[in-house]
Amino acid sequence: MSLSYIIRRVLGTIPLLFGISLILFAIIHFAPGGPLDVYADNPSVSKEALEQIAKAYGLDQPVHVQYVLWLKSMVIGDWGYSIRTGRPVLTDIVERLPPTLELGGLALVVSLLLAVPLGVLGAVRRGTKVDGTVTIASFIGISTPVFWLALLLQLAFSVWLGWLPSAGYQSIGNGSFLDRLSHIVLPASVLSLATIASWSRFIRAGMADVLNQDYIRTAYAKGQTSFGVIFFHALRNAMIPAVTVIAVDFGTVISGAVITETVFAWPGIGQLFMESMNGRDYPMLMGLMMMGSVGIIIANLVADLTYTALDPRIRYA
Amino acid sequence: MKLTRRATLQTFIAGSAAFATLRAFPAAAQAKGGTLRVGLTYEIDTMNVYSTGFLGDAQAAVVEGLLAPDTHAKYVPVLATEVPTVQNGGIVLSPDGKTMKITYKLRPNVKWHDGKPFTSADVKFTWEAVKDPKFIAESKDGSSQVESIETPDDLTVIVNYNTVLPTFASTLFTFGIMPKHQIEGTDINTSSYNEMPIGTGPFKVKEFKRGQYCATERFDDYWRKAPNGDKLPYLDGIVFKMIKDSNTLITQLKSGEVDLVVQTPYNQAKQVEGIAAIEIVKGQLLSWQHLDFNFKRKSLADPAVRKAIAHGINRQVLIKAQGGFPEPIKSPVVPVFDFYDPNTPDYAYDVEKAKKILDDAGYKAGSDGVREKDGEKLSYSFVIQAGRADDELAQQVIIAQLKAIGIEAKADNKTGVAFRDARYKGGYDLLYSRWITSADPVYSVFWGTGGANNGQSYSNPTLDAAFKKFEASFDPAVRKAAAAEFQKILAEDLPSIPLTTNVAVIAKSKKLKNFVPNPTNMTNFVDTSAWYMA
Repeated sequence: MSLSYIIRRVLGTIPLLFGISLILFAIIHFAPGGPLDVYADNPSVSKEALEQIAKAYGLDQPVHVQYVLWLKSMVIGDWGYSIRTGRPVLTDIVERLPPTLELGGLALVVSLLLAVPLGVLGAVRRGTKVDGTVTIASFIGISTPVFWLALLLQLAFSVWLGWLPSAGYQSIGNGSFLDRLSHIVLPASVLSLATIASWSRFIRAGMADVLNQDYIRTAYAKGQTSFGVIFFHALRNAMIPAVTVIAVDFGTVISGAVITETVFAWPGIGQLFMESMNGRDYPMLMGLMMMGSVGIIIANLVADLTYTALDPRIRYA
Repeated sequence: MKLTRRATLQTFIAGSAAFATLRAFPAAAQAKGGTLRVGLTYEIDTMNVYSTGFLGDAQAAVVEGLLAPDTHAKYVPVLATEVPTVQNGGIVLSPDGKTMKITYKLRPNVKWHDGKPFTSADVKFTWEAVKDPKFIAESKDGSSQVESIETPDDLTVIVNYNTVLPTFASTLFTFGIMPKHQIEGTDINTSSYNEMPIGTGPFKVKEFKRGQYCATERFDDYWRKAPNGDKLPYLDGIVFKMIKDSNTLITQLKSGEVDLVVQTPYNQAKQVEGIAAIEIVKGQLLSWQHLDFNFKRKSLADPAVRKAIAHGINRQVLIKAQGGFPEPIKSPVVPVFDFYDPNTPDYAYDVEKAKKILDDAGYKAGSDGVREKDGEKLSYSFVIQAGRADDELAQQVIIAQLKAIGIEAKADNKTGVAFRDARYKGGYDLLYSRWITSADPVYSVFWGTGGANNGQSYSNPTLDAAFKKFEASFDPAVRKAAAAEFQKILAEDLPSIPLTTNVAVIAKSKKLKNFVPNPTNMTNFVDTSAWYMA
């Protein structure tokens, strides 16, 4: 792997992002409705007022002109203004990023800490009751609808037991570490359940595959302990297929978890996206989706680079 | 002294009691208080009432106008000392009757939240700021009709209008007065006012966390006093929590994390009824659902067809389909208003009568059961705004009921701009939708000849004359008579069938006292000063 490879990959993202932005812009403008729809039932909002708002945001221009205007300002780093709040898009996004990164980051770290041992356990004890239990649990985890699990946990821990707040990022005017921790427990649990389930499946499959290899038998023959064989010889190779999935999941953290954030009134990117979608806030939507795209592109690059770190035989020219 | 366990306990209890008594004394001076936690189903976009895309619930607790509508949608003075009328000399019409002048006497000794005095300069500044073309806002109503404003002294405002505007109270200065000293010289589109507005209201903004909550606290120098002389407001503060998911909102009511929800979705009202600490209050709303006819269709321009349809619709079924919450109406003037005329004629549900009217008018059923006359089939395109569950249900009910009298309606649902376009330009035969009005509505926009919202191509000179009388007069008696007149004409000529009016299902903690619902667009929070948590 060389520096020139990374530079080429990064340069390659420019036409990619351009294409993505064109498609996204077209899709959100073809979607029915527009930013001025919120006023549809209100007879006292005059036509003149609507025209003035449309003009202020360039909505009176043809779509292709709007796109060129958007692209021009985006290139020089101007993300535009939110139609809904009237504030710069970047300001709104920067404000929402920390809660999203905290929630998504915590959920993924928890997922990683639990998924790896569970996956390894399933593979090592293949065919036993332990493996069966882990497998069934994984399938339940993958197929549980997020909003349903969220409601159930809220009911149990907030309404019945009264241990944890049912929603929100912090108590009014509190915001201490413990207070925020008590708020993040439920959404992070909901968010990590599905990832734990899917990742542990990938790790189990990769591990099961590796454990049949000759070099594992050799390692055992040399008198290595089971622990050493599994965690020093096998796991590294078993992780390669799982890395792609895990890296891309990390990349999507930046886009926020729309459902979880909405159900838990979590003031992050996912909720901002939902609100902007409902209000057809075009500049905000473009900003959010471009940021999400960049996140996924970077995650893919990181996944590719991680392969070489895990398996030095993989080379990129 | 050796203390037995029991003695220790007794000492402890006595001590606690003494402590409690000590604490109780200062508390007695401010017996009524508490913090009210409100759950909003939307995210506050801006705290500026003139540019928000929502009703300003939180804003109403912070910002005040010169006047405000009360629980009966009648205007009462707030920052003005009285509601200007022709009788009290507050409104003076020019000799030619084409323009008017309104004089407001302002309440003395009112302070802004930062302690600065509230004066006539703030009122004048509000007009200048709102009408400024650079200010991006949808609520500029009433600003272009003002020619100039004079402020002879700190407590007198004379507003010169370039026209006669009897609905002046539902516009500009009622929404709220802006503090000149906070906004002047800044770009109002990005001003700090949009997050931390300085108002004169009972509560001041303490913290505004986007996407989370808006916390307010008691304003100690608030001008209003309770009838018994108590300092107001009673509450220590109101917190508006933004919780978009309605299931979560109900959970928060159950877990006691929220005390008040002013817009409970109809389909969740049943759940709320089961929560012991919560009671439901039904609040009137100034909105109504209607079925409109497009007069470009020859058969719909025929009063017989319109009347037959009116007899063919069973409002009770429509109401049931919407959870049983809407209430039946016969006039677009909803019953909250005192100029609603209860003697307005109505059309009872009577399928046989509907059929007979159509038979007599010569509409005969064809082979497919759909009636026709002179080659025109009574088959209509039926537009609603797509994606609104309640409207879609109502549409299905109406289609079925029309079928029973031999009229075919085909759903042609449109979204967003397409719907708006169809509604205003008449891109439909039948249209089911709703209007929401201010506390001081004008009806000529809906059915007046060439009215801005008249997409029906409906024109009736007698009705226009009645609207004109209603909308140009300041005399309550004349207005009431004119209102009865236009309601009668609307019911008899039936350009639109008023079907139902909505109620707001308000879920409130039983501890919240003195809560009074408000039906207008100034929200339930227009006067929160006397509320308290028991």
